[in-house]
Amino acid sequence: MSFLNPIMLAGLAAVSVPIIIHLLNRRKFRKVTWAAMRFLQNAIEQNQRRMRIEDMILLALRCLLLALLALALARPAILSDASAVFGQSKVTGVIILDNSMSMGMSDGTGTRFDKARQAAEQALDSMPAGSATAVLLASDVVQAVIPEPTFDLNLARKALREAPLTDRATDIFPALGKAIDTLKDRLALRKEIYLVTDGQATGWRQLTEIQRTLERTKSEIKTHVILVNEHEERNLGVSDLRLASGLSAVGQPLRFEAKVSNYGKEEVRSTRVGLSVNGEASGDEFTIDALPAGATKSVTLFAKLRDEGFHSVAARIAEDRLLADDRRSLAVRAIKEVKVLLVDGEAGSEARDSEVFFLKNALVPVPADAAADYFIKTMSVTPSELAQARLDDFDAVVLANVPDFSDALITAVEGYVRRGGGLMVLPGARVNATFYNEQLFKRLKMLPAEFGEIRGEPDKDDKFATLQEKGYEHPIVEIWNDPGSGKLGSARFFRWFELKPELREKEQKGRGAEENSPSISFTSAPPRIVLNYTDGSPAVMERPWGLGRVIQFSSTADTAWNDLPVRLAWVPLLHRTLGSIVQRQDEGLNIRVGDKFVRRVPAENLDKDATFFPPRQTTVRELRRVELVNGWPTVQFEQTQLAGVYDAKVGVAGAVLKFAAQSDASESSLDELSPAQLATLKNVANVVVWTPNLSLRGMMERGRTGSEFWMPVLLAVLAIAAVETFLGQWFSRSK
Amino acid sequence: MNNPDNANLLDPIAISRAESLGLNARFIVEGYMAGEHKSPYRGFAIEFAQHREYTHGDDPRHLDWKVLGRTDRYYIKQYEQETNYVANLLLDGSESMRYGSGKLTKLHYGKMMAACLAYLILHQRDATALGLFDTTVRDYAPRSDNLATIHNLMARLAGFEPKEQTNIAAVLHEMARQIRRKGLVIVISDFFDDEAKVLEGIQHLRFGGNEVVVFHVMDPYELEFPFNGQVEFDGLEGAEKIQTRPAEIRKSYLREVDAFRQRLREGCERNNCHYTLVNTAQPLHEVLSAYLAFRLRTTTR
Repeated sequence: MSFLNPIMLAGLAAVSVPIIIHLLNRRKFRKVTWAAMRFLQNAIEQNQRRMRIEDMILLALRCLLLALLALALARPAILSDASAVFGQSKVTGVIILDNSMSMGMSDGTGTRFDKARQAAEQALDSMPAGSATAVLLASDVVQAVIPEPTFDLNLARKALREAPLTDRATDIFPALGKAIDTLKDRLALRKEIYLVTDGQATGWRQLTEIQRTLERTKSEIKTHVILVNEHEERNLGVSDLRLASGLSAVGQPLRFEAKVSNYGKEEVRSTRVGLSVNGEASGDEFTIDALPAGATKSVTLFAKLRDEGFHSVAARIAEDRLLADDRRSLAVRAIKEVKVLLVDGEAGSEARDSEVFFLKNALVPVPADAAADYFIKTMSVTPSELAQARLDDFDAVVLANVPDFSDALITAVEGYVRRGGGLMVLPGARVNATFYNEQLFKRLKMLPAEFGEIRGEPDKDDKFATLQEKGYEHPIVEIWNDPGSGKLGSARFFRWFELKPELREKEQKGRGAEENSPSISFTSAPPRIVLNYTDGSPAVMERPWGLGRVIQFSSTADTAWNDLPVRLAWVPLLHRTLGSIVQRQDEGLNIRVGDKFVRRVPAENLDKDATFFPPRQTTVRELRRVELVNGWPTVQFEQTQLAGVYDAKVGVAGAVLKFAAQSDASESSLDELSPAQLATLKNVANVVVWTPNLSLRGMMERGRTGSEFWMPVLLAVLAIAAVETFLGQWFSRSK
Repeated sequence: MNNPDNANLLDPIAISRAESLGLNARFIVEGYMAGEHKSPYRGFAIEFAQHREYTHGDDPRHLDWKVLGRTDRYYIKQYEQETNYVANLLLDGSESMRYGSGKLTKLHYGKMMAACLAYLILHQRDATALGLFDTTVRDYAPRSDNLATIHNLMARLAGFEPKEQTNIAAVLHEMARQIRRKGLVIVISDFFDDEAKVLEGIQHLRFGGNEVVVFHVMDPYELEFPFNGQVEFDGLEGAEKIQTRPAEIRKSYLREVDAFRQRLREGCERNNCHYTLVNTAQPLHEVLSAYLAFRLRTTTR
């Protein structure tokens, strides 16, 4: 027996009240001098005994009444099998329904999610009348469909039936935590959590914490883990798809890298991987001969994008039981033309001596007659001509060994970068480091790093520095993690500027960019290192600034200080760097499922509506309004539960943009909770493996025998009150 | 009668009403004064009683000659002699009489009653004696037919304060022994005593040929017991205190009181005494005139 409101037990002290009144009353006698004592004596002798007994009965009844009232208010409850008299106890529950991607695994007739809904409904049905339940949907976030337990079980049922399956990853712990929080302070005898999940191991990464938490609340809250998985041996999934080319130019063959993973336990042969562009499976195709169990293979596929604008590219394999991971989509914005302004700080007498010679050739790596058709157009100017150039006509401006420039130009460059232009700074012997440091680094915080000392000994051919050979983290250079892409580390650097990043960078390393105040994150995001020398000092750094991006090299663009421009890696490095500048705004096009899609849109769309069309759903349209965020008209969309390509129409003009959400590859995993893990879980929860034939209802009902019985106690109080009133009247009648 | 205490005791209304009714001895009492009362002694008085056949030894003076002349039979003419009587007023002065729910205690009521009766009796030139008693006769005013003794009686009445418990039976026995001349014995008391013994005393008085009139004085509270809540009763005659809720035992109490009165009344009636319950809430004149009217009806002349 326990009390749900034990503080009310203090009310038992009230039992003393009638006793005290009784005792006090004994002192309160009206004194009467009386002559006819004889008759009184006789009358009392006849009644004394009876009156005393009656007094005692009344006193006992009053004490009992108060005691029972206190008891009823304390909400007594019995959690024993013997209380069948009072029937099933009411339940205050939380139903957690796993709606992560893995729940979409089908057994041929229905998905795990269908079964989970069925099981959850059974759990709901098992609740006796008067129960309340909340409904949470658990994936990597907790979606509280019904956040607080409702007594309207039909509403809960509706919520369960209409629960959507998402492509999110799984994390059970937060949902359990939330459920426990919801139940913790509730005054209820029977608190239960029903967690309906497929028991995918990835969702239980925090099993120890889960176990600890459940252990702590075990006495109070009963947790049922209802597993709806049936064992699945095979699953193939496209675990990754990305654009390997630096620039997504129209008509150019673009290289996409797709990874296909075999999550099953058997080797899979002849896996065809196809690429489709905008839904048309016209793309490249590749067949993986053999994919061993647990292995992942990278496949390079090519596709061309025919027109400028947004395209969706999807890699797909043959459908298996888990459909969601059999295709993976990418949103790509195709660029027609990229214009680069090369500012030559040291023109030289011959073309070959020019500071930008290597740049020009690397950016347009085609024969001179084909250059006109090539999508990258370059234009070289001298620093003095820079003032006349219309910067906004160019996608990127490269400052190669430019000593310094006027204040007016600084303002022009600042505005240009702020509006989304890209700036590449390559130093050289002529560079006025102080100017760069004072104006561009310290004042505008545009440069990612300060130019420090000039390092290296250019006279000695055997003394040089090289670039890092592995562990490329920055997206610009990450392709070199794959040895097949060539080597960066072979380039020799004889002389270079020491790059001293802003001190702030260190402080901010641990934190995400979101944590900065909005104004700073907008104008100057923290600088990042693109490439390091082998000694760990930065060789190339970049910093998003305004809407543009600034990339700072530490050495020259020609072969004066290093031999990088004559290496094979120079062309892809430059292209990728340019790509990162041009596609600065397209970074947000590919998000993880569940992340918020944020994109700046042209100013004329402010306060206009944006319509979003989620993937795989023909009828659903979501409306959002273009709002001002950090001073820019921005459209945001957070309902990215599903993987795939989302179309969006912004404004009256109906400019279509696409973005893609990609699911977490770990969701494709077939790993289930191991028997050992299940055993630990069983210590703290009731683990039920659900099958359609299982009567969950009966099982739950059997487990729930305890009950609250303040009602009968209260009825007893009322009965006693009635009896007390009647007896009081009856006893005090004249006898 | 100038004494204010004394003046209190005489209820002028009672007296003026009662006077006209007169206090007649119910039975023919032996009287030495030819007054308004019948005497058991047949003689040559005014009131004719009956004829009786002459027997040997009768005084021939009482022969009814007219009858003899008409019928030739010897009849004696008997007369009832009107006598003066002695009224013995016995007032219970025990502690229990001190109870009174209103302004008037039973004792005071009894005193008033005794004073009025004494006045009435003296006024019709009968003799009266007054005894105040508790366990024994505490104060006794010998009989007198002088109207002036009323002052003496009232002074005694007014000056009396109760001290002791009751022992009516003993007093009645004592009085029965003391009273020489048959007369009227008026007992004013609450009779809170063993009623069997009281009745024995009354019987004793009746054996002596006295007419006994019992005025049972009770307070209305004693008759109705209208108490509520919790009451501590403090006994007047040394009884232990009793704490109780009187409302709950009212019926029992009233049953007890009624039974007591019943026994007393029946005992009195067996002994041919007048038993009158006097509720001190009733005005004295009502009680007296009611009793005297009743007496007038029942007294055969």
